[in-house]
Amino acid sequence: MPSLATSPRSDADIFSEKVMADPYPVYRELRDAGPVVHLERSDVFAVARYEEARHVLGDWESFSSADVALNEQFNQYIGDGILRADPPLHDQLRNVLAARLAPRALRDLAPDITRRAELLVDRLVAKGSFDAVTDLARWFPVEVVGDLIGLPREGRERLLPLLDANFNCFGPENARTLASVPQLPELAEYVMTSATRGALTEGSMGKAVYDAVDAGEIPEAVAPWLVMTYVTAGMDTTVHAIGHTVWLLAEHPVQWDALRADPALVPQAFREVVRYESSVQVFGRTARVDWNIGDVTVPAGSRLAVLYGSANRDERKWPDADRFDITRNNLDHLGFGYGLHGCAGQALARLEGEAILRALLRRVSRIEAGEPVRHFNNILRGLDSLPVTVVTD
Amino acid sequence: MEQRETGRLSVDMGRCEGYGMCQQAAPELLHLNDDDEPVIDVAEIPPTQKPLADAAVRACPVAALNISTTSAPA
Repeated sequence: MPSLATSPRSDADIFSEKVMADPYPVYRELRDAGPVVHLERSDVFAVARYEEARHVLGDWESFSSADVALNEQFNQYIGDGILRADPPLHDQLRNVLAARLAPRALRDLAPDITRRAELLVDRLVAKGSFDAVTDLARWFPVEVVGDLIGLPREGRERLLPLLDANFNCFGPENARTLASVPQLPELAEYVMTSATRGALTEGSMGKAVYDAVDAGEIPEAVAPWLVMTYVTAGMDTTVHAIGHTVWLLAEHPVQWDALRADPALVPQAFREVVRYESSVQVFGRTARVDWNIGDVTVPAGSRLAVLYGSANRDERKWPDADRFDITRNNLDHLGFGYGLHGCAGQALARLEGEAILRALLRRVSRIEAGEPVRHFNNILRGLDSLPVTVVTD
Repeated sequence: MEQRETGRLSVDMGRCEGYGMCQQAAPELLHLNDDDEPVIDVAEIPPTQKPLADAAVRACPVAALNISTTSAPA
């Protein structure tokens, strides 16, 4: 493998708690080392710079997502799921999701999501002090998305730990993955028994998957897995984004004041949260053909780890990249991925995050945050706890 | 990969999901109609607005917006 001789190498363990506590210095080392860096511990090429990450995500024909997980066992487990699929199957599945998740499909939902955010934030603000993760961020997406998918209320409380385990399994075969694999059957059992054709509520996004089967748009066999996609992709990613929103705006009171003065900045501010602390830090790809980048050739068949969290901090792309700035031009961040497999639920995530943010802005003049407790997951970046006191005057 | 010629914005409607980031990036060149479908308002991109067109292309989360050049493809 001549490429290994020319590609820079690193023995950094980006999945260790030590690195994950503050991954950004290591990400910078990887970006500075070259356009791709061979991570020797997991035998993958890290794609840590913005332009290269965007290139890989944007070209599904050259870079397959069949190895979206960084271990073979879980890729086999996902099977023909939408994350791994190519067109035409991918497009059939995506169309079912997009019919319900595209902005035009969500318009009518906005008032209800806003109302729910107002109710929740009202209740918490009245308490004065609460935990922005366990009382707010973990509550809202599970309720909102759970209802939209059409899941029965009973059993939802089991979901978040199972979804967290599911995301861990996208990582390399490390201790965190191995500890999470035994929880996969419980998640599958939940979907197969609680999210069935009969149990999903009428008119829900979950039910629409089975309507698509009946209409001959997708094969029957993929339906439970597509419902699984709604459940696994749509909750804890948004949980972490909302937790980071509260944390970052507590840490930047001047920007909080700017947002209060001009709430039209809310979409840009939520995007900046997703850029600055991306819920999804990494997903895998495989080079289908030799990839010549600079003086390095990544041979066909090589596995890549696309580092979204690093690309979103690349100083080659972002002026003053490590500065949280709600007024920066951040339309083309990679926090939701990009291209064919770009997050299908990004409009819904924005709707939820912006609703919570607006509800807080209307009531709270200052957020005082205590010490955040970092959550560790192979793929996701988020918090376990964030004690806050809110000031209303 | 880098095309210097001025070209035309084109939308792959099979991929477009109506996020509207293109309109936010380049309202001078295109807008979304009532069905969230992009409508190209400026057929030929004037050279002075090429950076704006590039920004719109980059802003599309699903890579549905492209610039097709008038010259023959390589």
